[in-house]
Amino acid sequence: MTKFIIRRFIGLIPTLFIIITISFFIVRIAPGGPFDKEKRLPPEILKNIEKKYHLDESLVKQYGRYLLDMARGDLGPSFAYPDHDVNFFIFHSLPKSILLGTMALGLSVILGIGTGMISALRQNKWQDYTAMSIAVFGITVPNFVVGPVLMYFLALKLGWLPTSGWITGRYGWSTIIMPVITLTLPYFAYMARLSRASILEVLRSDYIRTARAKGLGESVIMFKHVLKGALLPVVSYLGPAFAGIITGSVVVERIFRIPGLGQFFVQAAFNRDYTLLMGTVIVYSVILIIMNFIVDIIYGYLDPRISYS
Amino acid sequence: MMNGDVILKVENLKTYFNTDDGIVKAVDGVSFELHKGETLGIVGESACGKSVSNLSVMKLIPSPPGKIMAGKALLAGENIFDMTSNEVRRFRGNRISMIFQDPMTSLNPFLRISTQMVETIRLHQGMDKKDAKEKAVEMLELVGIPNPGKRVDDYPHQFSGGMRQRVMIAMALSCNPEILIADEPTSALDVTIQAQILEIIKDLSVKLGTAVIMITHDLGVVAGMCDNICVMYAGKIVEKAPVDELFHNPQHPYTKGLIKSVPRLDQPQRGRLFSIEGQPPNVIDLPECCPFHPRCKQAMDICRKKYPPVTAIGEKCCVSCCLFKEES
Amino acid sequence: METKLKEPTVNELNQPLKGVSLWKDAWRRLKKNKLAIYGLVIVIIYAVLSLSASILPIYSYKRQVIEHQYLPPSITKTAGELLLEREESMMLAMARKMGRDQLNDQEKDKLEALRKKVETEAKEIGGKTVKVHERRYIFGTDPLGRDILARIIYGGQVSIAIGLIGTFTSVLIGIFMGALAGYLGGKTDYIITRIIDVMYGLPYMMLVIIMMALFGRNILNLFFALAIVSWLTVARVVRGQIISLKNSEFVEAARSVGASNFRIIFRHLVPNTLGIIVVFTTLRIPSFIMMESFLSFLGLGVQAPFASWGSLVSEGVEGMNLFPWRLFFPAIAMVIFLFSMNFLGDGLRDALDPQSKNKL
Repeated sequence: MTKFIIRRFIGLIPTLFIIITISFFIVRIAPGGPFDKEKRLPPEILKNIEKKYHLDESLVKQYGRYLLDMARGDLGPSFAYPDHDVNFFIFHSLPKSILLGTMALGLSVILGIGTGMISALRQNKWQDYTAMSIAVFGITVPNFVVGPVLMYFLALKLGWLPTSGWITGRYGWSTIIMPVITLTLPYFAYMARLSRASILEVLRSDYIRTARAKGLGESVIMFKHVLKGALLPVVSYLGPAFAGIITGSVVVERIFRIPGLGQFFVQAAFNRDYTLLMGTVIVYSVILIIMNFIVDIIYGYLDPRISYS
Repeated sequence: MMNGDVILKVENLKTYFNTDDGIVKAVDGVSFELHKGETLGIVGESACGKSVSNLSVMKLIPSPPGKIMAGKALLAGENIFDMTSNEVRRFRGNRISMIFQDPMTSLNPFLRISTQMVETIRLHQGMDKKDAKEKAVEMLELVGIPNPGKRVDDYPHQFSGGMRQRVMIAMALSCNPEILIADEPTSALDVTIQAQILEIIKDLSVKLGTAVIMITHDLGVVAGMCDNICVMYAGKIVEKAPVDELFHNPQHPYTKGLIKSVPRLDQPQRGRLFSIEGQPPNVIDLPECCPFHPRCKQAMDICRKKYPPVTAIGEKCCVSCCLFKEES
Repeated sequence: METKLKEPTVNELNQPLKGVSLWKDAWRRLKKNKLAIYGLVIVIIYAVLSLSASILPIYSYKRQVIEHQYLPPSITKTAGELLLEREESMMLAMARKMGRDQLNDQEKDKLEALRKKVETEAKEIGGKTVKVHERRYIFGTDPLGRDILARIIYGGQVSIAIGLIGTFTSVLIGIFMGALAGYLGGKTDYIITRIIDVMYGLPYMMLVIIMMALFGRNILNLFFALAIVSWLTVARVVRGQIISLKNSEFVEAARSVGASNFRIIFRHLVPNTLGIIVVFTTLRIPSFIMMESFLSFLGLGVQAPFASWGSLVSEGVEGMNLFPWRLFFPAIAMVIFLFSMNFLGDGLRDALDPQSKNKL
């Protein structure tokens, strides 16, 4: 098992490397970026850039400096905001995004698997029907429709929840209810469908028939025999789900006016602030890579065919 | 070897499946008896109902499409179809065990062999973990798994196909059941392994006094192993006889065809290999007639109109064919 | 005269024999799925509306009638009547603030002047002179006085077009790359698979947004960016199919009876893959529309004066407290379409491959 973990860990490094390198080039080559000879920049930024990037040195040396900076965690100065560097923005906004994202992921897993199990056990009865209808809804309706609609009914019309703000402010934890629901909905829906289908398929398999033939009771069969295998597709899905949550957070943060990383990402895209843009991409990528790594390990733990071969 | 007492009696079992295309009469009036220590062979082509009959006895038929419509399965006098779920679970793996065709998919790939064997043993025999594991190792040794003490903690994918089937047998016999139902246990294995597995089943059935129902499409398998044989076709039993009688003196045209289809090495080969012409019928909406008549060289007019009655021949045989009705 | 041999319709036991081709069988199954059929009908309605948008008796989607801004939806009242109502209630509100609860003469005169204007004013729109205040805005208007129904229909054109073209392009790229990888194998296969694996792990939205930032926010770019990140699944599927079929037994069997390569590809490989591609395409279109709407919502997608459902929803969110119709109508129009495509896609998948592992 340990060998497996180490192997997977080593696999991370090339991907990270590729992303950082691409980032390096994009910042330099991008049209409309500060290195674009045609663009005129305010003198403070120009000064910052020249100081930071040592543009007079050879490309290779610049790359080397860049890598060292990365290793130290320094993502460079912002092109649009001369007083702050990228780290400043990220440092302040990342925790909020992580909080939202983790809550959304956790909730979607727990609710998703639970709902899927109930649906599978009560196949074609009203519980199944209701759950799957909600699931179809969650998958089809985009988050930028769900968010505003929720806000319209729950905040504006009924006044139950605040329209914006953060937990550190006046309204405390009630501010994240709607954002988290909006973020969670499509992934909960997908996982509910996925686990339902997976459980149903495992229930039909030969080894469950053997378990029944041995006289085991239904709850033992479900929790000991079925779940382990049935959850594998759900675990595989965690990686893409988290990637989706990151993407979705960009919209959710805008709708509910949460100053998270997503906001800065979009701002940077509009402003062509490439260091900020690539900085956020690198941070997101690192998070995703770590998340995929953890998912891989969990999968290997659950499926002995992979780790014991 | 047989011992006289009837431990399982199946009477007029009918199991139908409700599908989009119609009602499939998979088993349509099957009756047989199993004696203590006997090895009974059930032979027939694919989809003739041999597996479904035995799955019905174990009450393992998936219930939305399938339903046991009629009949009784008497286990030492008690009707299985009248039992509650708890009672059924008590005899599964305990008094009647079943092993299946494909050992690759019949074991849970995510759990260790020890876990899977110990849970059965603890469930039916109430031992503690240590003792149950020892029993599991004992059984593995009995079926010929080398180094059983170490291998018991392995996962199924670490065993080969033949080894896995041995594990299945060990698991099935671990609670010393009165009956072992073996549903095509060797069909998915190589021929050389087949012989080994059949040997093991035969040996253990003698050693432990277990009655065996051997389901197969292969006449060669039953010839070497069974005391009595039932031949099934299209959901019904067409002939029943002790093994020697069946091979030397087959009565039903289908049985005769089956036996003739087996190529023989001890006779000079002349011309084409024999096979019964035609296809088995579609068991959906089967009209009342002898289901074999389209392929039967001796078909008569009445065969197209009514189902042939069961005629006993001697003490131990019976056959279901209109040819005999006339004679008797 | 030659008599044509008729295929037996019953066998010896008088049981009916049914021949089944893949498509007939699939159609039969699809017909039974009510949701999928409703979906199909709705999609066809949308398609017809979009295609015939220019000849439909609806108002222009880009012509601004500033006085008609922010009108609520109404089937019974004309724009003129709504304007008058609004003017009147505003005046009453002002009057009450000043302590009166009736309009004074000055205000009444103003109202009367407005009434006259409403009844007689005519504008030139699209080459025709129309009594513009007689319009009925069934879905209301936006801040620039444009009819929301018209904008939804035109927005639908844009969204559906993006969905179709984007899906089509990505499917083509995917088939090409997948076929290349599968058929050639070796190094090409390795490189292509590596690329697919790396790209699969990246959140594609990020890539698209970066591309929009790099290359500018126009529609062509949008297509390009979206297509580039979407071909991955098709490529994987096609590659998988080709590899398994290349070596499968029935290809060998076909070869052993002398079938040529061409025949093998067209009679065997293609029909097998086609089913999956059809299902994938149908399910991809809504997801493309979602992606484009997502971008438009953020302002990175379709730019003015074009509208897409996503940009309409985005505009609607801003004033949603006071003018909820600007949010709800485009949202509902889009969601109904997405639902219909999804039901249709699910239905197709069940119909073409009921044993599929993806059956949900």
